[in-house]
Amino acid sequence: MSIRKPRYSISQAILHAVAIAFCAFTTIPFVLTIMVSISGESSVIKNGYSIFPENFSLNAYRLIFSGDEIWKGYMVSITVTAIGTGLGLLLSAMLANTMARQKVKYRNGIALFIFITMIFSAGLVPWYIFVTKYLHLKDTLAALILPMLINPFHVFLIRNYFKSLPQALIESAEMEGAGPFYVFMKIMLPLSTPIIATVALFYSLAYWNDWGLALWLIDNRELYPLQFILFKIQSMINYMSTQGNLVSGNQALPTETAQMAMVLVTIGPIILVYPFIQRYFVKGIMIGAVKG
Amino acid sequence: MKGMFNELSRNKWYYLMALPGLLYFLVFCYLPLPGILIAFKDYNFKDGIFGSRWVGLQNFAFYFQGDYAWRTTFNTLFINANYIIFGTIIAVAFAILLNEIRKSFFRRMYQSLMFLPYFFSAIVVGNFVYLMFSSKFGLFNQLRSLIDQAPIDWYSAPGYWVSILVGVYIWKNTGYAVILYLATIIGIDNELYEAAALDGANRWQNIRYITLPLLVPTITIVTLLAVGKIFYGDFQTIYSIVGDNGLLYETTDVIDTYVFRAVKNVGDISMPAAVGLYQSVCGFLFVLGCNWAVKKINNDNALF
Repeated sequence: MSIRKPRYSISQAILHAVAIAFCAFTTIPFVLTIMVSISGESSVIKNGYSIFPENFSLNAYRLIFSGDEIWKGYMVSITVTAIGTGLGLLLSAMLANTMARQKVKYRNGIALFIFITMIFSAGLVPWYIFVTKYLHLKDTLAALILPMLINPFHVFLIRNYFKSLPQALIESAEMEGAGPFYVFMKIMLPLSTPIIATVALFYSLAYWNDWGLALWLIDNRELYPLQFILFKIQSMINYMSTQGNLVSGNQALPTETAQMAMVLVTIGPIILVYPFIQRYFVKGIMIGAVKG
Repeated sequence: MKGMFNELSRNKWYYLMALPGLLYFLVFCYLPLPGILIAFKDYNFKDGIFGSRWVGLQNFAFYFQGDYAWRTTFNTLFINANYIIFGTIIAVAFAILLNEIRKSFFRRMYQSLMFLPYFFSAIVVGNFVYLMFSSKFGLFNQLRSLIDQAPIDWYSAPGYWVSILVGVYIWKNTGYAVILYLATIIGIDNELYEAAALDGANRWQNIRYITLPLLVPTITIVTLLAVGKIFYGDFQTIYSIVGDNGLLYETTDVIDTYVFRAVKNVGDISMPAAVGLYQSVCGFLFVLGCNWAVKKINNDNALF
């Protein structure tokens, strides 16, 4: 804009204040969780959850890492996230590649076939019966991966991106004798890294954070993903707190602080990579907003 | 027929590449469809979907004759409507606010901090809510005691929970929506603001007469997409927060949590299948309605 503005103004100060207040709202629960997880259980029992605990202790972490449940949970979550993201991304991109090519006559039929699943579903019960009784996925690692392998929304996102690439380039490569797989691997994918990276991150996030599949399909403790272990701990503690007096017999265990330590264990990896990956999410949302 | 074979063989590699993905949708989305019959049957595991006894509309009758149909349907629609209305207002307000902040360093930092909760799982969110509202140790009761108010036993007071859920929704999703709306605002042609400046327009007038009107199409599309999903409750968040705490069902029990409990806690199959079918059909009609509305407004943004 051409008009000169003062560098500092009251209106800018107000804008900053409101934005800071909202950022405090979004981050306080997270900060509070960290502080509670490193406070002494006695401090929590006496003063409640506090950002400034009276005494510090790492007992909570000692307790939750004393068994091997957490490590197994990490293994399950990492395996599911890695396989699910890799396979899901590959299948989504191949599907999108076919749907994006003008010369594929039934591309719109394929798009319709996928689109219908976005607007009508059989409901949870038929899905549950089919997956358990006919596919026998109950209590398998595949139960945590296959049911959410492809997100149709992301397939369309990739297809739209593929469509926006210069078609002349692809056609000339084909004229030189490049086959569809070669074109896909050497031209489509490398030219589409922004959208591929974004979709990969969305898939990883969905797998890492999912616990609905475990809730329906996993009873075997060996196959609990991290989030589901946290869910089990949380519902046990909630149950105990509604039973009132039951807790007092158990006071030696740092249950309150252990629960918060467990939360940090599950979100730790996300927080570590967040500063590096968030711009890809932002980019992805913007591409979706402009093209979707 | 011959043309079809020609096409399939001419582009066989393309169809082969699509095949695994298509198989996924076939298996996980289409093959369960016959299971819809369960809604009209007295399902038992041994006889399976086709062998079980027909009972007509009995499963639907069970649901609709009790209080649950009204309560779960109302809660689902009411909570989602609140999500849409307050979520949109707050997100648009913050998108405009961030756009007005001149230092890009701060703008990016605020955006990052607002976006952070989007990355937490519903379980973690449930845990955060517990930190705030636990009657014994929670932050809210501590704050109340600072101003000499008696503590509230939040987890046995259903009246507060729609507001709390909406607060959680805003907390978790505002960052995402802000990015969406900022993308639109950034795309607005700068010449419009320059022309307005020549006419002596101030900031408020810019927002009121340029930014907001140009945001309307995006707001409409986002809202209609959300309205299309209004029959589907926010299961993961609500179940993580409320769990099996029956004291809060009055205001928080949505169709999805009701179906889950009926299957997992009661072990019923047929009645929840009927409820699920009712939800799917209503949801489908809503999507069609919303798409029709989008088409009326702007054909380019219609889904189909």
